[in-house]
Amino acid sequence: MNEKAYEVVHLDELDRFPVDDEGLLWRPVRRRLGITAFGTNAYTAEKGDERVVEEHYEKDGHEELYFVASGSARFVLGDEEFDAPAGTLVHAEPGTRRGAVATEPGTTVLAIGAKLGVPHEASAWEETFLVFGLYRSGKEREAREQLETVLARYPNEWQGYYNAACFEALTGNDDGAVAQLRRAIELDPQAKEWAAKDEDFDTIRDRPDFPK
Amino acid sequence: MSGAAHISDLAVTTGGGRAWAMVRTHFDIKSFGVNAYVAAEPGMELVGNHDEVDTKHEELFFVSSGRATFTVNGDEIDAAAGTFVFVRDPTAMRKAVAEEPGTTVVVAGGKAGEAFTPSAWERGSRYFVTQEYDKAVEVYEELLAKSPGDAGILYNLACAKSLLGRKDEALAHLRQSIEADPQFKKSAVEDSDFDAIRDDPEFSAITGQTSSARTSS
Repeated sequence: MNEKAYEVVHLDELDRFPVDDEGLLWRPVRRRLGITAFGTNAYTAEKGDERVVEEHYEKDGHEELYFVASGSARFVLGDEEFDAPAGTLVHAEPGTRRGAVATEPGTTVLAIGAKLGVPHEASAWEETFLVFGLYRSGKEREAREQLETVLARYPNEWQGYYNAACFEALTGNDDGAVAQLRRAIELDPQAKEWAAKDEDFDTIRDRPDFPK
Repeated sequence: MSGAAHISDLAVTTGGGRAWAMVRTHFDIKSFGVNAYVAAEPGMELVGNHDEVDTKHEELFFVSSGRATFTVNGDEIDAAAGTFVFVRDPTAMRKAVAEEPGTTVVVAGGKAGEAFTPSAWERGSRYFVTQEYDKAVEVYEELLAKSPGDAGILYNLACAKSLLGRKDEALAHLRQSIEADPQFKKSAVEDSDFDAIRDDPEFSAITGQTSSARTSS
């Protein structure tokens, strides 16, 4: 870890990892700057009609504040829906449904979050996001290295192996995908239910050894 | 509770013409600190010169519009809209001055390795914005009991008491503050919170001002 007293970076200099095929980009801020006390990421929707905050709930207890840094987005927060131009702050308690769709090209939303009452720990999903972000950026070798880092860091969590299975399926390593999925299911049977509806496994679902 | 607001709806003008959006307290955010500051004019101080030695906070500044010059440990940083400045070292002195009208900075903070608790300064400062100076006095007296002789706390206590018209107490606290840290001398001269005691000869004596314009001709 770099131990300089301070770091400076412009939004334009942050990495741009595709999160999906719709054009949503993940711009890691916390990772880039080495922030440890809270989570921070930016998301950019370049076209301006795509999702900029995935709809989710943060059921693990993370409290989040979204800030529309540029452009404009239509937010869903609980039962409400509203337009949020640049400069808008949106606070979401843990467990509250939230999500946003960009309504202008080049919309960027900053997300700051931490878990109530406990010291902040960098979220494991960031590590996994990076695997698929690198893969979607055409950097398969770096993606595989990152995947190995994740598995080494979380050897007892089913999500790591599950994501490894997705990665193997996406890269055409079908045997590897089935093997990793079996490991995930051994650690937690709910992995089987996720796999049943996960389109990442469409290419291997018909194999006789696909866990059902 | 969950909710939404625009920075311009939350921003309240504080000393020096800078507006403060009390983001954390508005939303009652409990897991990290967050505030925003808006400068109406270039040259205004957006972030006062400070360190985070007492709180040990990491601080992340994001310039969301306009342009600011940050100074961190003496290094000047030209920060256009979209710039993040992250200060991880709590002992680093940092400040920011607006270069364009309407420059806005969002600041998030927290202590590495510990659950977040709201900063003492924020507890007291909010009562200056709401003009509940008696409550500010309560908070700062409580803080002073824990950190006797702290120049910053004494200064804020002097401000609150000046605004309440408790002139003698204000002057006494200001004197103690400046004795502990002479940098507050300059702040006091420029701070409108002391308008009620500015003409007092004691104020001139404490701040070293050779009295004001009315006697200079």
